[in-house]
Amino acid sequence: MQADRPRHVGARVQRVEDTRLLSGTARYIDDIRLPNMLHLSFVRAQYAHAKILEIDTDGLADLAYPTIVFTGKDTAGIAVTAHQDFPEMQFSEQPVLAEDKVRFVGEPVAAVLADDPYDAEDAAELVFIDYDPLTVVGTMAQARDPEMPAIFDNWKGNIFIERQMKGGDLDAAKAEAAHVIRRTFYNQRQTGVPMECRGVVAEYDQASRVLTVWTSTQIPHLVRTYICEELGLPESRVRVVAPDVGGGFGVKGQVFVEEVLVPWLAMKTGRPVKWIEDRREHMMASIHARDHEHTLEAYVSAEGRLLGLKADISVDVGAYSTYPFTAAGDPGMAAKVMPGPYDFQAYEATFRALATNKCPLGTYRGVARPSAVFSLERLMDEIAAELGMDPFEIRLKNVIRDFPYKNVLGFTYDPGSYAESLEKARDLLAADIAEAARSKASSDTRIGVGCALFIEQGAHGTPDFTRRRVPIETGYIAARVEMEPDGEVIVDVGLQNHGQGHETVMAQVAADVLGVDPSNVYVRQGDTLTTPYSVGTWGSRGGPLGGGAVHEASKILAEKLRAIAGHLLQTDKEKIVLYGGKAQVDGAEDRFIEIRKLCRIALRNVDQLPEGMIPGLEAAYSLDGSADGTYANALHAAVVEIDIKTGKMKLRRFLAVEDCGTILNPLIVDGQVRGGIVQGIGSAMLEHFIYDEECQPLSTSFADYLMPLATEIPNIEVHHIETPTPRTPLGAKGLGEGGAIGPAAAIANAVADALGISVLKTPLNGNEIWRLATAIREGE
Amino acid sequence: MRPTPFEYHRAESLDHALALLAEFGEEGRPLGGGQSLVPMMNLRLARPAHLVDINGLPLDFIEVEGDVLRVGALVRHERYLKEKVIGERFAAFHDAVQWIGHPTIRSRGTIGGSIAHADPSAELPAVAMLYGATIIARSANGERRIAADDFFLGAYMTALEAGEMVVAVEFPLPPAHSAGAFMEISERRSDFATVSVGAQITFSGGSITGARIVATGVELQPIRAIPAEEALSGKPLSACEARAAGRAFAEGIDPISDNVASSEYRRSLAAELTSRAVEKACQRALEAGQE
Ligand SMILES: Cc1cc2nc3c(=O)[nH]c(=O)nc-3n(C[C@H](O)[C@H](O)[C@H](O)COP(=O)(O)OP(=O)(O)OC[C@H]3O[C@@H](n4cnc5c(N)ncnc54)[C@H](O)[C@@H]3O)c2cc1C
Repeated sequence: MQADRPRHVGARVQRVEDTRLLSGTARYIDDIRLPNMLHLSFVRAQYAHAKILEIDTDGLADLAYPTIVFTGKDTAGIAVTAHQDFPEMQFSEQPVLAEDKVRFVGEPVAAVLADDPYDAEDAAELVFIDYDPLTVVGTMAQARDPEMPAIFDNWKGNIFIERQMKGGDLDAAKAEAAHVIRRTFYNQRQTGVPMECRGVVAEYDQASRVLTVWTSTQIPHLVRTYICEELGLPESRVRVVAPDVGGGFGVKGQVFVEEVLVPWLAMKTGRPVKWIEDRREHMMASIHARDHEHTLEAYVSAEGRLLGLKADISVDVGAYSTYPFTAAGDPGMAAKVMPGPYDFQAYEATFRALATNKCPLGTYRGVARPSAVFSLERLMDEIAAELGMDPFEIRLKNVIRDFPYKNVLGFTYDPGSYAESLEKARDLLAADIAEAARSKASSDTRIGVGCALFIEQGAHGTPDFTRRRVPIETGYIAARVEMEPDGEVIVDVGLQNHGQGHETVMAQVAADVLGVDPSNVYVRQGDTLTTPYSVGTWGSRGGPLGGGAVHEASKILAEKLRAIAGHLLQTDKEKIVLYGGKAQVDGAEDRFIEIRKLCRIALRNVDQLPEGMIPGLEAAYSLDGSADGTYANALHAAVVEIDIKTGKMKLRRFLAVEDCGTILNPLIVDGQVRGGIVQGIGSAMLEHFIYDEECQPLSTSFADYLMPLATEIPNIEVHHIETPTPRTPLGAKGLGEGGAIGPAAAIANAVADALGISVLKTPLNGNEIWRLATAIREGE
Repeated sequence: MRPTPFEYHRAESLDHALALLAEFGEEGRPLGGGQSLVPMMNLRLARPAHLVDINGLPLDFIEVEGDVLRVGALVRHERYLKEKVIGERFAAFHDAVQWIGHPTIRSRGTIGGSIAHADPSAELPAVAMLYGATIIARSANGERRIAADDFFLGAYMTALEAGEMVVAVEFPLPPAHSAGAFMEISERRSDFATVSVGAQITFSGGSITGARIVATGVELQPIRAIPAEEALSGKPLSACEARAAGRAFAEGIDPISDNVASSEYRRSLAAELTSRAVEKACQRALEAGQE
């Protein structure tokens, strides 16, 4: 009916939130200042594994200003727990303040409160803790060693959980195989590094018995539920607000001990309490990511068909299980997504989460998929090399082409453009591939081209979480759409915008359905007082599920507007179209009524409503993901130039051919893809969180933890293919994480191509490239 | 990431600054561009009780007097890129500056701060050694002139004494028949060097008559590459055997090892960058000869 009219969805609409974010008028957690507020500074563990013998706070008494200090004795029993409901799982409890033991450097041991943040930090230095150091479990090998002491009482060994996933007949695949190719791959430990660190402010109002918690989070409702369950408070009287959040990348998608402790302190002291994390704390004690080791064994036919795959997956998940995705989140995800975009029907994965005395592992953009894709896509190139095939040829031979496709684990993929993206990239790279081939004659400079094909399961529905038995439990996003008497629209959605551009996209979606301009739509998020209960923003669900929920809720409202307009224009409501601020009779441009008039009638001049119609303009919708989610796909390709003598690697070119279904806003899609790729380049080449043998962190500032900078990033080319999914109302698939998933694999493949060797681990920094180039340099 | 309490003093004159520094001794620190000191204070790695802000002093001069280039302690790194005498007479210096941080850092950081801070991989200490510069230090007791070769004692350790500050660095103008180059490898463009090498040669009649080569990232202070310097003496500019000179230097060193680079990698870089810096210097010498 409206096909010929320009729509807001799909248009290059500028991000409305940027005015605020780029002009310094946004309000972040540190901008929240309340009267009579106490500032919190933590005393954090200096040992990775130690008994706490004594906490001496006598020094505080001599200070010229008052302080209050709390330790684990005061908060005994309050903890963050996150269990997967499997009998194999060993449980951890992370106390909000360490009780008898510390289990990683940076774990909070005491909370010092003062009127001034500088004083609080000075005072925290005066708390002396007497430790009795214990044996440190510092590596995956040590965690698997049954001789090592367990880091939790009544644990057997240091494995949180070890399980299997399988499908098909692997023995048959192995028997049929002409080639068996086995490699072990490793991705280093990282941390997510949002620009804004964490922070929590809490205030308890005695009169209303309402606790308000501001926190820099992606998941306000989940924080509320956790606080209420742990502190025994009614959810009706706890309000969690995420103000503007300066990036999260998954890091802020967990409930942290600090988020439970700060509200407790506010209630205990009767004063507002504020904690603003500094970068050092953030690096060592928020959450870490990656640190995966995968051994893959591929069974391949003589013609290069992948017949089966065996995987052994270990992840160093650190000292505690994190809420709500648990210690098994990363290894389980790696096992689940490993089969990727290829057509084979025999698979077996053994995966385990290993406990060590390190910062806990949690979600970071891509969640295990960057590592799984690194391993599988490196393996594809290893297979190609062994069989003397071209990397594109081996992929085209094995890629899934018929949809829907049921994979070896029973997940059904929605339609995608896997083969098409490969062919498109091969064309785009033809000149680079030729140049790379020519450079093989040189022992000074080598060029390499590498690609990574992958899919990104996003917008997961409740059944996916039920299968995983994780505390997240569900995956729906709810939206409530309301119109005001002046025709303005309010959209309250259970997402939490922390850079994704939701405020723009949700307005585009609602505007199209309601026939108004996006500038008339006010999108509110992140406050449990105004938004409907939802799981927040993570897992690439904002566009497909958040957008879908806004779309469906708006449709309900549009239906009512049409009914009122039909009544007033004396025509069938089916004939009414909403467009350009008007409700008009289709095909009769002069027969219309302004939408804002309809709103006034619905809310104030209700005597003009059709007989029996209930006044008001409000609609709500909750949209769950489909059982298997949506599968976006992308092909990432890197062209590298390597100085053989110095190990210096330059990224000459990086391109992505991506398919996220319906593109809701091309500017935002490109931004998401590019931002993710920059992070992926960091994973591939630079970012490395290093611990020494005693698990002392060595990468606690940006001088030691190297982030990619503009000088290292080439122009990133983004190409699109659009294959809408039937699984979400708008045809959109999840897209937020994809950018970060492919680069490590693509760059490693480019290095392998340039140097003609196996690349088995990241980061590919100068020293590592130099090492890999040894044979060429020495003329072997 | 909040500094411990400190008192801030704005120096009104050089004498005032020196008097304040004398009064505070070990407890006081000059504040230059703040690009190293302030981060260290925020991390509580530095805990000065008194900061003496010298930014108001007239120490931002670059002047040539006779055959000496005098650079005041407050000259910001970015300025060398625009200064004609640096571009024309101090090519290695000019090369090196482009490797210091990024423009925001370069427009605040000062030569006095960089020299006094003595980061093991910083460029300007290496440049000072490369040109045989003299560090002019002042205290309430008077002036000391310290040769760059004797100034850098280790990581963040210099010959400066408590109460003393750098007021200027004097670079002898390189002779007419000389050329230089500076090469660096770092993880990211703006990072401190993994290894850097500066080379400065003098020549006559198409042959090298003298060479000075300085490397960072090998030990905890910049070092001279004496074996390479010796190897080059008398070699023709057009076939200087730079590679052999690099190897001669690298064979005799036992470089530091850390999370950025192993000892072996640094050794290899020291050889390669020495070779490249020398080759570039020779190439510049030949190009200058053709004009
Ligand atoms: C992100 C970043 C990247 C950087 N990258 C590089 C790089 O690649 N290479 C590099 O060389 N540097 C780099 N730096 C450091 C930068 O060059 C600093 O400016 C420099 O090291 C110190 O100069 P400053 O004037 O800022 O000194 P300040 O930070 O003010 O002081 C440093 C120290 O010197 C003392 N001091 C200052 N002035 C004097 C004086 N006149 N006499 C005696 N003592 C004095 C101070 O008391 C203090 O101890 C980087 C800095 C940053 C933040």
